[in-house]
Amino acid sequence: MLDKMMEFTKFVAKFKFDGYAIGTAPHEVIFRQNKSCVRYFEPAERKGEPLFISMPLINKWAVFDLLPHKSVIRGLVDAGIPVYLLDWGTPQAEDAPVGMEELLDSVMRRALDRTRRHARNRWNTETLDALGYCVGGTVLAAYCGLYPDSFRRVALLAAPIDFRHAGRLATWADPETFPVDQIIDNHGNFPAELMGTSFVWLKPSTTPDKWKGLWERFDQPGFQDTWAAIEAWNSDSIDFWGEAYRSYIKNCYFQNMYFQDGWPIGGRKADLRKVMSPLHVFAADRDHICPPAAAFGAKDVWGGPVQCTELKGGHVGICLSSRLVKAIAAWSLEPEA
Amino acid sequence: MSEMPDLTKMSQQFYEQWEQGMTAWWDQVLENPAFLSALGENVANQSRMRGAYAKAVDENLTKMHLPTRGDLVRVARIATLLEEKVLTVEDHLLNIQDTLGRIEKEAITARIDAAETRIELREKLAALEARLEALEGGSPASSANRRPRAKKES
Repeated sequence: MLDKMMEFTKFVAKFKFDGYAIGTAPHEVIFRQNKSCVRYFEPAERKGEPLFISMPLINKWAVFDLLPHKSVIRGLVDAGIPVYLLDWGTPQAEDAPVGMEELLDSVMRRALDRTRRHARNRWNTETLDALGYCVGGTVLAAYCGLYPDSFRRVALLAAPIDFRHAGRLATWADPETFPVDQIIDNHGNFPAELMGTSFVWLKPSTTPDKWKGLWERFDQPGFQDTWAAIEAWNSDSIDFWGEAYRSYIKNCYFQNMYFQDGWPIGGRKADLRKVMSPLHVFAADRDHICPPAAAFGAKDVWGGPVQCTELKGGHVGICLSSRLVKAIAAWSLEPEA
Repeated sequence: MSEMPDLTKMSQQFYEQWEQGMTAWWDQVLENPAFLSALGENVANQSRMRGAYAKAVDENLTKMHLPTRGDLVRVARIATLLEEKVLTVEDHLLNIQDTLGRIEKEAITARIDAAETRIELREKLAALEARLEALEGGSPASSANRRPRAKKES
């Protein structure tokens, strides 16, 4: 017991939240625009159509590649799927005016164009599947609403669509009490610190649970590495693009526009009813950021056929699960109906 | 002699009870409209203060004829918009490249078709010539009257 306590104290004392190497899977950047880029991960042998992944705009992309043996990306690449990952990057002060229209019509549209060109040259195909995680999935859905024929099939992972069921975040994001205009008008971008604090208070028991979990599983082989990788990623939050955040909060959390006539973006409506590509929704059963009901709500507004799968885990923990990799690979490699 | 109490188990039970109590208490607080309203007002005030501070710093720097944060942000934004323009040009160039590639492919296909047609014609002509020579047999008169042979296409 005393030995464990000593080891535990040493581990905690020497641990640096920002000194842990994550996101180390070998890749090539095939396109850059402003702070965003497309990262390409090549399989040894191609067995399926290339997969375009839209990552969350609030955290770094490395959540999909935290550790070599617990990496969504490496798992998909090993399954023979060429992966193109849209890393939205870290917005700076000058990016505060960037709204959803610029992110979708300029960055994402162009990222997809370059991805298709790369896939055509490298794999002789322009067909793409798409996967969106968290708010990256909500935004991917909006893109599909604006450009309905973009993908062969689409998957959303822990991505809120029906914001009435978005748990405590929906309670907090009330137009009467949440001062989104004052925050964006004065800060420019939505500050990462504020976002991080709100996630901590979303479930206050998370912080003591985290340390309790570390203590209880301290002796388990590999657990220290997993814990450290998650903490390193979690402590490195990024700002949310200012005007894009204003639009996201007002149209999604305040008005749940996917369930009305669509999210208004650049004078058009991102209406999911127009999208006929098959959709697969993955949700985590213990997700308190995007509860399964918020993700599965997509089946009520998506035009094409929708399948829903609930996996065990939390919002972030699900990314470390081999079950997730298997489920996504099976979905991607499934022959067309 | 009575057994020693299991301290690990006891501390675990204590933690679980504490956690349940705290969670229930925080659940009440964090969903209380009055608390959320006060919190929202607080965040709004802090944001306004930050905005006012940034504006005051910028005004002071302007008075000192120094570039402000706002100036630098504007320059960086202009650079981003310029990059957008460059990428738009790149879009056009890539589209032109695609079109040229398509045209080139079509032109090559057309040239192959034309070459194949010429080969076919040449083969037909050779066959006709062979038949003509066979019909003529060895007649020197008709051979002398024969029209000059069509010049072979190169």
